[in-house]
Amino acid sequence: MHTNPYVPIPVEVAKIITEVTTKDIKTFRFAFINKEDEENFNYLPGQFAELSIFGKGESPIGIASSPTQKGYLEFTVQRAGTVTSELHSMEEGTLMGVRGPLGNTWPIEYLKGKNIVVVGGGFAFTTLRSLINYMIHDDNRSQFGNITVVYGAREPGLLIYKDELALWEKRTDLALNVTVDKGDADWKGREGFVPAVCKDVAPSSENAVAVICGPPIMIRFTLPVFFDLGFSKDNIYTSLEMRMKCGIGKCGRCNVGHKYVCKDGPVFSLAELDKLTKEY
Amino acid sequence: MEKKVIKKDALAGIVKKLAGQMPVYAPVQDQDNVLFKILEQGMEPMLDFGNTRNAPKNCFFPQAETMLKYFRTERGRELAGVVEGAPEAVLFGVRPCDARSFILLDYVFDDPKYKDTYYMERRRKTAIVTLACVHPPSTTCFCTSVGGHPMSSEGADIVLADLGDRYLAESLTDKGAAILKKFGDLANADDAALAKKKELSEKSEKEIKSIIPGNDIKPWLDANFDNPFWDTIHKSCLACGTCTYLCPTCHCFDITDEVKRDGGRRIRSWDSCMSWLFTQETSGHNPRTSQKERWRQRLLHKFRYFVDNYHAIACVGCGRCVQYCPVNIDIRKIVTDISKL
Repeated sequence: MHTNPYVPIPVEVAKIITEVTTKDIKTFRFAFINKEDEENFNYLPGQFAELSIFGKGESPIGIASSPTQKGYLEFTVQRAGTVTSELHSMEEGTLMGVRGPLGNTWPIEYLKGKNIVVVGGGFAFTTLRSLINYMIHDDNRSQFGNITVVYGAREPGLLIYKDELALWEKRTDLALNVTVDKGDADWKGREGFVPAVCKDVAPSSENAVAVICGPPIMIRFTLPVFFDLGFSKDNIYTSLEMRMKCGIGKCGRCNVGHKYVCKDGPVFSLAELDKLTKEY
Repeated sequence: MEKKVIKKDALAGIVKKLAGQMPVYAPVQDQDNVLFKILEQGMEPMLDFGNTRNAPKNCFFPQAETMLKYFRTERGRELAGVVEGAPEAVLFGVRPCDARSFILLDYVFDDPKYKDTYYMERRRKTAIVTLACVHPPSTTCFCTSVGGHPMSSEGADIVLADLGDRYLAESLTDKGAAILKKFGDLANADDAALAKKKELSEKSEKEIKSIIPGNDIKPWLDANFDNPFWDTIHKSCLACGTCTYLCPTCHCFDITDEVKRDGGRRIRSWDSCMSWLFTQETSGHNPRTSQKERWRQRLLHKFRYFVDNYHAIACVGCGRCVQYCPVNIDIRKIVTDISKL
């Protein structure tokens, strides 16, 4: 193992799942080439890694698998720039690199013993999926109270992790609320925007923490719903994104005030964000 | 540690000889500029100069460097090797402000959690020989306002002071003592030499006339992220990045991949917060939309955020950004103006 933090860990693309009908969001499963790297890759939900493709560059992406899923890492990636476009053109069996785990985690210790409300919109559901799978794992489920999930996408074809959503739907220890802005002929589920669904589901703020990720417009309209429900800013967490290069707080571009999103984040409570400059 | 004296006319020869044994970075004349460069065979360092045009940070953190190499295979692209390792070296003739910059850069690159391998290897293996400023080199020098001193030994392994007829050489670390031995047989410093240095030090400090309230503006900066004052400082800025490239404490960098037929290399190069591209995201969103936000970032990074994180201002008062800004933006004036708000 390299002590040099800039050297990527070699991985193989083990599995590719096209998540959406527009085909621009895929989940990549990576298998470690070296057993030692696998053993040393200790992470928790909320962390990210730099997906590293020599000749193209690196892209910081949240880890979508849960540490309870052994032997591999998963990342759900939208095709957007140079690195992610190259990734989308890859086939199973291709070798590339992963640099991480990087950043802080969802506040797992703080979440223990509390009721958890997970709110996700669009494909910003990746590290939330990691968190849900972590919490509902047999080894961990008893450590958390009620788990309520609100997850929305624009249309049914844009919902990610559909197979997993179907499994979660069947569970009695997790209240899943999936919604789409507008359904199609086959859609039998909820219709409506995430903030409206949150208002409708109305999770109690009693001993509860909300973990919210989504597009800025969704966040903006969802937060007032949670304030009305009595959630304090200490009990609402989100994850920030910024342009990054090094991922370890040195290259200087992802700061919000004196915090680096890569090293001090990406997870912040609203109370913490209130203390930072409004520059993100 | 040891205190020696060196005859005035012997120093250049000593450094030239040292450069035959190990890499020595030193100030040399390059056309109109004095630059830090590796002394080549037979070259002597410049001893009579104000300050170098470039900060010596490039010795540990080069403007561009290869981080690793890769090659193409049938299964993708694989790591060919990591470019690590540095020889023992000497960085000679560093002004006290620039020597101090390494202490500030260490906060970033020698972070307890993530050590920057490339910077740290060179840093550990290089002895820094400071050439104290018995006269402040420029009217733009303001080291005393940001925690420095023209005769300071902070950050140095050896500090040299020009006493007029001879140099006083003091080693401050084991690394410095080892290099001072290589200087050859030197006479021990007498009390007169030490007294002379003290006298020069007091005189030199008084010669620095450029004083700014560097430590006083933090409370205002903490409270005024959205103040209209920020609309007034950036208007003439060309976003050329000269200030950030010449700054001894600016450490922001980019990582890019170079592609050749069978492989290539990953390169780190200096970047600048003065460029819009610095924070431009793939989605099109940019948290710093205009030069106003970029200038505010530069100033807040140095005088607020770095202080929050490391309890030090990320400015050593070398004055390069003031001297070489093509549109005469003067950070001293900005800080002074803020102190009056």
